[in-house]
Amino acid sequence: MFKITKQRELPIVKVVLIKLAAIACGLMLLGVALAFLGHNPIKVYSELVLGALGSSYRLVETINVMIPLTITALGVLIAFKMKFWNIGAEGQIAMGAIAGSYLALFHSNLPKPILLVGMVLLAMLAGGVWALIPAFFKVRYNSNETLFTLMMNYLAIQLIVFLQFSAWKDPKSFGFAKIAQFNESAIFPKLFGVHIGWVAMLFLVFAIYMLINHTKLGYEICVVGTSKNTAKYAGMDVKGTILKTLFLSGAIAGLVGVFQASAINGTLSVQVSGGYGFTAIIIAWLSGMSTLVVPFTAFFFAILTQGANYIQTVFQIPQALAEVMQAVILIFALGSEFFVTYRIEWQSKGGPTT
Amino acid sequence: MKYAVEMNDISKRFGDVQALEDVHLDVLVGEIHAILGENGAGKSTLMNVLAGIYTPDAGSVKIYEQQAVLRTPKQAIAKGIGMIHQHFKLVNALTAAENIVAGFDSGVWFNAQKVEAKIEALSKQYGLDIAPSKRIRDMSVAEKQRVEILKVLYRGAKILILDEPTAVLTPQETEHLFAILRTMKREGHSMIIITHKLSEVRAISDRVTIMRKGQYIQTEITSEQDEQTLTNAMVGREVDLSLSCVPATGTELLLKVDALTVLDDLGTKRLKSVSFDLLKGEILGVAGVAGSGQRELCEAIAGLLPIVQGDVVYEGESLLGLSPRAIINKGISLSFVPEDRLGMGLVSTMDITNNVLLKEYHRQKGFFITRKNSRVLAEYLVDKLNIDTPSISHPVRLLSGGNIQKVLLGREIENNPHLIITAYPSRGLDIGSSHLVYDLLNAQKEKGIGILFIGEDLDVLMGLADRILVMCEGKVTGVLTRDAFDKQKIGYLMSGGNAHGGSDV
Amino acid sequence: MKRIFSVLLVMILVFGAIGCAPKATETSTTEETEATEAVTEAATEAAPLTVGFIYVGPIGDGGWTFAHDQGRLYLEQELGVKTLYKESVPEDAEVKTVVKGMIDQGASVIFGTSFGYMEFMDQLAKEFPDVKFLHCSGYMSSENMNNYFGKIEEPRYLSGIVAGMKSQNGKLGYVAAFPIPEVIRGINAFTLGAQSVNPAVEVEVVWTSTWYDPALEKEAAKALIANGADVIAQHQDTAGPQQAAEEAGVFAIGYNSPSKEKAPNAYLTAPIWNWGPYYVDQVKKVQEGTWSSVNYWGGMADGIVALDALSEIAPTEAQAKVDEVSAKILSGEFAPFQGPIYDQTGALKVNEGEVLADADQLSMMWFVKGVKGTIE
Repeated sequence: MFKITKQRELPIVKVVLIKLAAIACGLMLLGVALAFLGHNPIKVYSELVLGALGSSYRLVETINVMIPLTITALGVLIAFKMKFWNIGAEGQIAMGAIAGSYLALFHSNLPKPILLVGMVLLAMLAGGVWALIPAFFKVRYNSNETLFTLMMNYLAIQLIVFLQFSAWKDPKSFGFAKIAQFNESAIFPKLFGVHIGWVAMLFLVFAIYMLINHTKLGYEICVVGTSKNTAKYAGMDVKGTILKTLFLSGAIAGLVGVFQASAINGTLSVQVSGGYGFTAIIIAWLSGMSTLVVPFTAFFFAILTQGANYIQTVFQIPQALAEVMQAVILIFALGSEFFVTYRIEWQSKGGPTT
Repeated sequence: MKYAVEMNDISKRFGDVQALEDVHLDVLVGEIHAILGENGAGKSTLMNVLAGIYTPDAGSVKIYEQQAVLRTPKQAIAKGIGMIHQHFKLVNALTAAENIVAGFDSGVWFNAQKVEAKIEALSKQYGLDIAPSKRIRDMSVAEKQRVEILKVLYRGAKILILDEPTAVLTPQETEHLFAILRTMKREGHSMIIITHKLSEVRAISDRVTIMRKGQYIQTEITSEQDEQTLTNAMVGREVDLSLSCVPATGTELLLKVDALTVLDDLGTKRLKSVSFDLLKGEILGVAGVAGSGQRELCEAIAGLLPIVQGDVVYEGESLLGLSPRAIINKGISLSFVPEDRLGMGLVSTMDITNNVLLKEYHRQKGFFITRKNSRVLAEYLVDKLNIDTPSISHPVRLLSGGNIQKVLLGREIENNPHLIITAYPSRGLDIGSSHLVYDLLNAQKEKGIGILFIGEDLDVLMGLADRILVMCEGKVTGVLTRDAFDKQKIGYLMSGGNAHGGSDV
Repeated sequence: MKRIFSVLLVMILVFGAIGCAPKATETSTTEETEATEAVTEAATEAAPLTVGFIYVGPIGDGGWTFAHDQGRLYLEQELGVKTLYKESVPEDAEVKTVVKGMIDQGASVIFGTSFGYMEFMDQLAKEFPDVKFLHCSGYMSSENMNNYFGKIEEPRYLSGIVAGMKSQNGKLGYVAAFPIPEVIRGINAFTLGAQSVNPAVEVEVVWTSTWYDPALEKEAAKALIANGADVIAQHQDTAGPQQAAEEAGVFAIGYNSPSKEKAPNAYLTAPIWNWGPYYVDQVKKVQEGTWSSVNYWGGMADGIVALDALSEIAPTEAQAKVDEVSAKILSGEFAPFQGPIYDQTGALKVNEGEVLADADQLSMMWFVKGVKGTIE
């Protein structure tokens, strides 16, 4: 017989160990499944890691995934710190991409530095404003932000579909519904072989860490997140804090949008957000809402994503199975939260006696 | 059969905290047994072990002189043990009878008549005075408590555990409860009452077991002990129990509350035309059962609740329409400790430094903040108020209630307010700390600061306040000056009677 | 603060390492210290050749991608080369990631089998001059990238004959993916074929904006049937429209691969692909070092396209007519876009006795008379 009780605070090392053990369990389970399908699981896993890190090209590809994951996770993290469940990063990424693409498509004659800076600013503005909408309804009418932000995702994605099929359709594509490739001047440059987004990523890790820990706004975010009553009591402008924070959260996601559209895709398409907005939520969560852990978690996820793509072609594992692999690892990682929060006490039948 | 309960060498550890260490308890059949101890003494933990909620790490339990295994509440109920918690576990939309039967009768069908008849009989037998078909939401707090008692009796409990049962009751209701307990005692039930109020221990219990910091101290026959010895045993040292009130001398008006009416979120009137004055250098006590509008009064003055009607005039200036921060800047401090202690005033997940920062950070210039001053102040508070914490970077949520109070009140006083609004400042504090808080407040009063003191223990209010304002259901039912303080009278005012009606009954 | 600086330091080191490391594709030195790089090198230098295929749908679609995958399997069987493939690659920058991954795994020939891959393959071709890119259905080419396609409008014209004869009311439906020349040519050829046996026939077109979406394709077909169409043709990669016809008790012309078993009571015939021989031919040339970028547009005479055998529910007199026209096409005597051809407005687009030039066919953005629908 066993009993489930609430766990005391665990030391960070133990938390990490629990999570690693959970992932190991997930890999073991998958290994059995792979073996049934006639693959050698150890070989598959080692190829998975090799596929993500095995050459400088692969490492660059992995980092290309890590960048949007890290930045988006930082964006949702600041909203989550405030207990504002921003599920709308997908849409905020899309809006950022749309705004950046507008400049890239229609004002590509601007000098490159001005164009790129303009794209970044416009993208952040668009992402921020997009996030402000649910925030406004939250503070004004106390609407449910989870559903609201989620629905806003579909709006933004459909807006891209609209642009792709009519307003911004490439006239040179002979009717094929796509948006034209960006002009060379609207593509973000590379530094050390990786697009410039990595610099923004490092800067943001630092900036968000400083924001949360060493600024008034960060302090207010944390107080509002714990207790709105306390925040009001201390004279904080709770509504203002929510609006400011959500703008920032959305702006960061918008930045991801413009990087993805320009540096990765070279144009705007519905796949611009690529599910990063959702994965980022999981990353923020698995990182224990800790800014400095986020890049590492994101890197892990990037390895998983790239590695799974790689083994797909190497072992001809169906796409669906590769997705199942990622999902299983995720479920185990998230499920381990249970063991971080709760403790299972095994009891002998006789009961405690002395 | 002599013993109803025998608990031997009970130990229980939560993480690093030894909550119970080799604790003993024996309760006789037909006895009212008080467990006395300060917060964190382990009283509740011990009772949770007995009620099957916690499993002890070591020790044995005998019920009616039979070895018992109590691993779940169900097993405890089967042995005749029922616990009445501080927070009632009742469904508002259901009737008393439905609540009593819920989760107990295994049958699919609910025979209302038969059940209600049985409850009616039980209710009569013990003088519980409960109408089985009345809905919980229409009941007073005291009635709800009696439903809880009925619930455990209905389930066949012979041993009742009551966790701080009087905290939510007026003096009259407390008397009623005690009468019920005495009836049950005559019927051969055993009762264990957890309390930290000495007067009640003496009024109701046959024997008293004293606990301190998770350890068993001693068990005494109550009538052979006086309050001072019990207190000393509970605290572990000599304690001065007297309260001092230096009569207020000032006549200068500090705060005038005029016909104040306030609605809550749902649009219900929570304050109905409340008016009173508060002088400089005065402690104005506010008495009333929990939920009589005390919270709303505090929040309205602090600018946290919109005022529908009336005015709040502070130093000749209306506070209407000012933001909470503007009100704070005027020197009004609110230290409100609601039922869950951490709901307002402190940020539970943050450490002491960050909580001290709460009232200071907005005065810092620029975008960034520094915690240097807060750290110094936090260290100072820990030192001065003897706050028991591993460090100033320990989350306040993990501190004991008393220490949380000290952090809150200490911070407020350090902000040099002119008006202190404090609600239940000694709730959950041990006697020593309570007196420290009272001394702090008295010291502020002598500096000419006006204090609005929302209290729950009438003895404390009467000992400390210059005047007492009594509230009931959002209305002021009376204001008594120090020379007219009378527990009976206040009790009647608390239950809605007027100042004259009280003494006639 | 110390913590954050150490984090930054570690990350800068990681990025520095990437920047300094030579690119895998640039290294051709024989001495490799890194084991992983050695693997890559071994794959590119030693035979056998590795060929990559990127598909727009899953290989089990029973249509377009299935047909290409049959070609890939034929290639493996004939030449023994190693092939890689990736299914369901969207028509966006994902193409570049997938192809780079294949090149990283040693692929030196890449077949991209969807129109939307074109620009990305063009960019890749510039980035990887040593890799051969073969793009299906587009129009761009360069030194190391060609485009290849088949004149599917020839068998489509034939299928139009069958449909025109089968239809009772002269109303045909056409479920079409995107309004691009490739699809428009097919619709026009089908319409001309049907008109050749029944001049009054009308072909209604519905766009789905997807190559592969079984449910959506089926819904589009249902809408056409509801409008009165009694034969459904398709330019889609699944049998969804055929199944809709089967359920509604009308008839269907398939596409890509024979698919009689998917809709036995509706299936008349289908214009089908046979990619295998072309793939073998091209890869053999690469192996022999004789490959050069030549655009390919084969027809029925080349064997890359054909009309599937008519099913038993096809009109009995159709076989003779199909055989007759088929023989003319094979001999070069006839082509689907042979004048006179009028567009929707009634304007003469191709004069009597002339055949529409290849360039005009490849950029065809107009419907012939008798098509109900618009090019958006």
